[in-house]
Amino acid sequence: MSTRRIGWATVFLAVPLIAYVAAVVGPGLYSFYYSLTDWNAVGGTATFIGLKHYRDMAGDEHFWLALKNTAIWTAVAVVVPTVVGLALALGLAQVQRMQRLIKSLFFLPLALSLVVVGQVWFWIFRPEDGLLNLVLGHVGLGSWQHSWLSDPSVAFWSVLVAWCWQQVALAMVVFLAGLTGVQQELVEACKVDGANARQRLWHVIIPALRPAFAVVVSLSMINALKSFDIVYVMTEGGPFRKTETLALLVYRTAFKTYDFGYASAVSVVLFLITLVTIGLFFAWTNREDHQNA
Amino acid sequence: MPETAVLTRGPAGEESSADEGRHHDGAGRGGRAGRRGRGERSGRAFAIVLLLIFGIGFLTPVIGVVLTSFKSNPEIAAHGLWTPSGDLTTDNYLKAWSDGNARTYLLNSFLVTVPATVISVVLGSLVGYVVAKLRPKGSGLITLFFVAGLFVPPQILLIPLFKLFNVNGLYDTLWPMIIVHGGYGISLCTLVMRNFFRSVPDELREAGLIDGAGEPRILASVILPVARPALAALATLQFTFIWNDFLYPLVFTRSDEVRTVMVGILSLQGQFSVAYGTQAAMAVLASLPTMAVFIAFQKHFIAGITSGAVKG
Amino acid sequence: MIHESTRRWSRVAGFAALAVFAPLALAGCGSGGGGADGKTVSMAHYFSDALGAKAFKSITTLCTQQTGRTIKNSPIQHEAFKDSILVQLAGGNPPDVYSYWAGAKTQYLVDQKRMAPLDDFWAKNDLDKSIPQSLSKASAEYNGQKYLLPFDYHYVGVFYNPKVMAKAGVTTMPKTWDELMAAAAKLKAAGITPFALGSKNQWPAQFWFDYLLLRTAGPDYRQKLMAGQAKYTDPQVKTAFSMWKELFDKGYFNKSPNGIDWPDAADMVSKGQAAMTLNGTWVTGYWDDNKVPAVQGYDMFPFPEVTPGVPQAALGPVDGWALSTAAPNKAAADDLLKCLSGPEAQRDMALAQGALAPNKNADLTSQNEVMHKAAKEVQTASTFVFNYDLATPPEMSEPGLNMIQKFVDDPSKLDGDLQEAQSAADGAFKKN
Repeated sequence: MSTRRIGWATVFLAVPLIAYVAAVVGPGLYSFYYSLTDWNAVGGTATFIGLKHYRDMAGDEHFWLALKNTAIWTAVAVVVPTVVGLALALGLAQVQRMQRLIKSLFFLPLALSLVVVGQVWFWIFRPEDGLLNLVLGHVGLGSWQHSWLSDPSVAFWSVLVAWCWQQVALAMVVFLAGLTGVQQELVEACKVDGANARQRLWHVIIPALRPAFAVVVSLSMINALKSFDIVYVMTEGGPFRKTETLALLVYRTAFKTYDFGYASAVSVVLFLITLVTIGLFFAWTNREDHQNA
Repeated sequence: MPETAVLTRGPAGEESSADEGRHHDGAGRGGRAGRRGRGERSGRAFAIVLLLIFGIGFLTPVIGVVLTSFKSNPEIAAHGLWTPSGDLTTDNYLKAWSDGNARTYLLNSFLVTVPATVISVVLGSLVGYVVAKLRPKGSGLITLFFVAGLFVPPQILLIPLFKLFNVNGLYDTLWPMIIVHGGYGISLCTLVMRNFFRSVPDELREAGLIDGAGEPRILASVILPVARPALAALATLQFTFIWNDFLYPLVFTRSDEVRTVMVGILSLQGQFSVAYGTQAAMAVLASLPTMAVFIAFQKHFIAGITSGAVKG
Repeated sequence: MIHESTRRWSRVAGFAALAVFAPLALAGCGSGGGGADGKTVSMAHYFSDALGAKAFKSITTLCTQQTGRTIKNSPIQHEAFKDSILVQLAGGNPPDVYSYWAGAKTQYLVDQKRMAPLDDFWAKNDLDKSIPQSLSKASAEYNGQKYLLPFDYHYVGVFYNPKVMAKAGVTTMPKTWDELMAAAAKLKAAGITPFALGSKNQWPAQFWFDYLLLRTAGPDYRQKLMAGQAKYTDPQVKTAFSMWKELFDKGYFNKSPNGIDWPDAADMVSKGQAAMTLNGTWVTGYWDDNKVPAVQGYDMFPFPEVTPGVPQAALGPVDGWALSTAAPNKAAADDLLKCLSGPEAQRDMALAQGALAPNKNADLTSQNEVMHKAAKEVQTASTFVFNYDLATPPEMSEPGLNMIQKFVDDPSKLDGDLQEAQSAADGAFKKN
């Protein structure tokens, strides 16, 4: 019985393993090897230099800035999309007219091409005729106006807003799926017992959304740790690398300054950071599950 | 009671008549109407107004894209993007569509996205099922191993993958994107499906075993139907990610005949030129399939808990 | 119940299998493989936008006729091109012929032996007769051999709005720095921003540094700095930046240049909010597209003389074609390059892109007066040099552009910025 179970487990894992190794693990190991060399991608030779890149990283201020950015970034980009995405999903669940259309509208941040969306965020954040500054001016908050993407003191947060905006849509989809699993009977029973809305939310709905929470938190954590695309499209890490994340540093080093070895080393470090963070999160959710079981 | 009629099937898997397509009048109808007071109604109205305000703010960038797609470049240059006045034009759409290759690009995007979505969801579900339900020794590590693919910045995999596809002659076909997205997507699918399978009671599987069903049969006919909301949501997300990706098709193709629509949009940007309008129009066109998938699949994952769940 | 749902799921599985394999079969059909048959030659380039597409529609037809070969045209967005060409070179399957930026970027690939020499091709087709020496010396020659075939180029000058200048009382265009400063003061007094700059994407800011250094320290010193033989902490560099800083201190630039892009700066000029913008001839293409009339709506004068006696270099980027060392069929590639060097192809390109043509015989009479003026400036200039990000190696141009953008944000921190640039230069030039 148990051996049959293990047998099936092996069968079920075989094909995914092959595909996954071919597409990810193999190339990943290849990159790990590069991180130990001085390969510049274009030239033919790659000299083995051991852990030099990893030692260099310790003294690289751009690495530390990117690491700090990524850490703050991740903290915000986990909390905000999770909370807003949940609220949005709960709110949208109330909508009864044209609900499919309305829900679809909130999915658009994910559906539209980023290249174009990034351009529109730029138009929102422009200093002279950007929408945000126009609105601020109209409501008498002219003193709050900034050059949102070029002022080094706010640029990071501006880009983060755009990032969270997109991640909210992602969280919303997962929560909507999770809400489907909430047993209505339980909610109704609660109502009969006289529980108010807040109690129902805390004691019935949120506990029932545990799997969705786990997915949303881990996904936004992973996405934030290697956040790249919208940052690249909006600022390319600028002004002068103030908004640079680790993933952007990897990209810049590999493709702008052709230091493929060092880029690989940074991506290995990024990989390890993510692995540890997510590993801890998994361990924590596992423990919670056992306690609740 | 109309509201309970839209109940989802719970994890227990019992069938319920899901007529989620229909409108429901919500408050004021059905047996519980009497217990609902004015407070509930006004609270509801408040929530809707709040949602509306938030919605407009949230959708501003989207509105911006749509607005751009109806403006000509001289118009944007002269008056900026946010002036509501000015001439709106459908030229950008006509231009985007008449551009000889738009249709080829769209077809290629489908040919990549559909198989890659199916492969990643199927394979990810297998892994998720194994680690969540069959639980062999080291399931935690197996999970982490498969999910770890998500931790790798994709740019760093480009060169090794390119070498691979170049050696086996798949370069400049649609295969590399299908293979890479299919394989890379396993990570996300494993993560999502593991979590959802874990919420499915073990008794379901055991009942199947007692009935004499084998593991594949249990997975296919007992577990997967229960996981339908998760599968639908996941397939939607995967479809979106793969559809919108331009990194892989950019690097793994050279011929125009095998380009995807996202590469097409990107190509409209020149070194020293801007084509805001055409780009936006093409982006709106290219988002339609994704939206269609979302609308089609959402009935599986938004059966909709009824209005009574969180308000009141 | 189990039976029913089994049937349903097997249907789903069947559909899934179909969905997977049907496209794969189709994809398989489409894969023709590489072009080693001797007839096909692949050509990758970054002229991907509507203008480029227009040019290459006629160029591809023309070259197919001239060469009798099948040309595989593969346009890629220019930023993406940088990444994709790198991966293709690293992966050992580059296109036979590819466009590239003349200058340090080409030098880099030449040093890595990724470009094949074109000397024989050059001599066989007698290209010295059609391509001016100053241009070929600057853009085609590396390590004493020819590697890049110049295809089109741009000229960087001061583009201005004549109506606005006249309104402020500036009727003759400045020829010297003092005259430029006098004009700027008049404009400022008239409530017009003298200079518009949109440096969100970093590179548009570089031209100010380029010209100020060229006009004060001269092209020879600049070449040394670009090659790592001079220092960013030298007084020459400091002087150039200090002059630029003065313009910021006097409020001659628009507020927060880093917050807008170069087309926005061009809009400010055409709308009359600003008077001048220092940019390349591509800006004429942008204005033409937006129905701003040449000469009446915009005009151009060369960056004025600053230190008398310093040679007046012309500045701009050159796009060229390189032959891959890995090209399987050199004869076919040579045929294609020959066509691309010809007057017809270069004319089509220049006219579509609003660029200038290296081939003297390309007929550009249909271009507007402003473009003719730019072409003349290049012909009469003593030397032609590349803008910063093409003049210095990529390891340096990245931190260098960064430094320039930082300076634009806060010019008062100049000394720190220059020191930072020098330490980046120490790292970048040590490697090679």
